Amino acid sequence: MKIIHCPLNGPRNISEFAYGGEVEAMPDPVSCSGDEWAEYIFMSDNPAGLVREWWLHVATAYWFIAERNTVTDEIIKTYPPSELYKQRIEFAKDID
Amino acid sequence: MQPTDQPRRSMIYRLLLENGAEFETCQDSAVAMRYPGNAAEAEQSQSMGIADLSPLPRIGFKGKDTPLWLKQQGVQLPETPNRARKQSDNCLLLRLSDDEHVLLGDLTLRSTLVATLHQSWHFQPGQMCYLVPRADTHSWFCLSGKHTSDMLAKVCGVDLRLHKFGNGEIAQTSIARINGIVVRNDLGQIPAFYLLADSASADYLWPCLMDAMDEFSGSPIGLATLQSLIARAA
Repeated sequence: MKIIHCPLNGPRNISEFAYGGEVEAMPDPVSCSGDEWAEYIFMSDNPAGLVREWWLHVATAYWFIAERNTVTDEIIKTYPPSELYKQRIEFAKDID
Repeated sequence: MQPTDQPRRSMIYRLLLENGAEFETCQDSAVAMRYPGNAAEAEQSQSMGIADLSPLPRIGFKGKDTPLWLKQQGVQLPETPNRARKQSDNCLLLRLSDDEHVLLGDLTLRSTLVATLHQSWHFQPGQMCYLVPRADTHSWFCLSGKHTSDMLAKVCGVDLRLHKFGNGEIAQTSIARINGIVVRNDLGQIPAFYLLADSASADYLWPCLMDAMDEFSGSPIGLATLQSLIARAA
């Protein structure tokens, strides 16, 4: 059984995790074109080598980021998303 | 009394009746207090026992402002996630992440902290502290005795041996292939683990654990036995 080190829960069997896609910068959903948004939502780069990916620890519903080598399938490191994302993104204005 | 006489009862009360449980009323709930067919419940609890605590009070809060709000209510928080901290009235606060907490009521049912927090909490726009009704979402079992770690090793991938998994530690992981929360909370000198898991799967989990503890001659024990262990430890 492969082991992934969850930043919140520590080492766990890989069966406790779900893959969440590549980490990509989100275009501004208000001003970007439809093509840009579709590229962000649906398309993957899928490179051979080091990638940054979203992973979910299912038992705690905790999302984190893993850096993985897609050639060797080796997980280099994992860390909480707060290391990349410092600000909360608001998609809609507060309803009064 | 029958468990259906009360407005609240365990989600597995039918299984407990099959096991020979005798129920009593605790607040507005029917709780499996003892198993008259088992003459050696106290010894069982020190060897390998399982108790259903699902009808007992518990409550959860989550959101960025939760630690501050709980502190304002006088609750003492563990320093780090995946740790539990006993309160002065013997309730147990579980810190599941930086901003998610669960409070388990005390087994003697003397504490009113769960009800007090429930009444104190109100939704306030802008305050990111949200109520999570854990009494309905999760079943709550207590596994006790010297064989508990060995038994859990059959259904859980995390190393829960006593010298690796200290008192007060929490593991949120897969137990018998369903998601659950394991908390070590010894009863005096007796190793004990709380187990919280999806309430809709409790009918599956209880027989799984009974099967896993069969080789250790495990059997169900009532809340009264756990209460007497706590009284002896105090």
